[in-house]
Amino acid sequence: MTFDKILDNDTLWAVRNDNAADNALQMLFEQWSDPEWLVDFFLANMTDLESYFKITDINQAIYDTIDDNHRIQCLILDLSPEADLDKIFRPLENGRTSEMLLGKEKAKIKDRPQHASWLRIYAIKLEPGCYIITGGAIKLTRTMQEREHTLKELNKMEQVRNYLISNQTIDADGFVDFMSELQ
Amino acid sequence: MKKKTLEFLEAQQSETPSAWREEAEWRRDNWSWMRHSQKIAVKVLLQMKREGLTQKVLAERMNCTQQYVSKILKGKENMSLDTLSRLEDALDISLILDEQVSYPTMAAEEVLA
Repeated sequence: MTFDKILDNDTLWAVRNDNAADNALQMLFEQWSDPEWLVDFFLANMTDLESYFKITDINQAIYDTIDDNHRIQCLILDLSPEADLDKIFRPLENGRTSEMLLGKEKAKIKDRPQHASWLRIYAIKLEPGCYIITGGAIKLTRTMQEREHTLKELNKMEQVRNYLISNQTIDADGFVDFMSELQ
Repeated sequence: MKKKTLEFLEAQQSETPSAWREEAEWRRDNWSWMRHSQKIAVKVLLQMKREGLTQKVLAERMNCTQQYVSKILKGKENMSLDTLSRLEDALDISLILDEQVSYPTMAAEEVLA
């Protein structure tokens, strides 16, 4: 596992898995703009799309995905060095109110017309304002545990988190500093 | 960012640079036509699945190479009207929207004035 710097100010990174052609963010942008990948994905997950989003038109679902991917790409390309990433990433667990060491986080498009966006970018929060992107998914179910492709993303987040902890990226002193910055 | 964390990440940086920014910028710069290309690719792919068509058969019907069909299906090809027409004929579907432009009703003398 290696890391790619996404923003020059060191606040956003992305994981590059062993033998992967590029990092997790680039892989997502590629997948979410690849018609072949999208057709296969939505054909395999039409039942979820109908059950949870009440959408039956696969064409529209794919067009919306392509449009949302474009919006996310533009948002990340246009991030200024002063951008507050804490406003983009949110705790993965909706109910989590307290901070945790190397917490699992998600980013999604807000204020989307017609239906909520199903695109998710997942990341580990290194410290306030600093994140490592681990992957992402088209989330069509209520929980990530319900489907294999989202469960895989949960596991990837856990793997990266464990890797950072085992390499003592953040030690006890670092965590104390981290908590004090939040107060 | 904490010095220790930054040093760790920099020491673990990938050996080859990422193409993410370059490619995302290309997609953004070409968005105006590429979104149409991607959506056409979706229609073509779905029709191919319905008919059970392979890229090879579609290429034969269009009288082009399979490599070209593959490029079309990636949604990164800025297709000509000739290509679009050949796709429509090969699949018997409509790809070029035939919506009418609404125009206010005007008296002949106003139009000609």
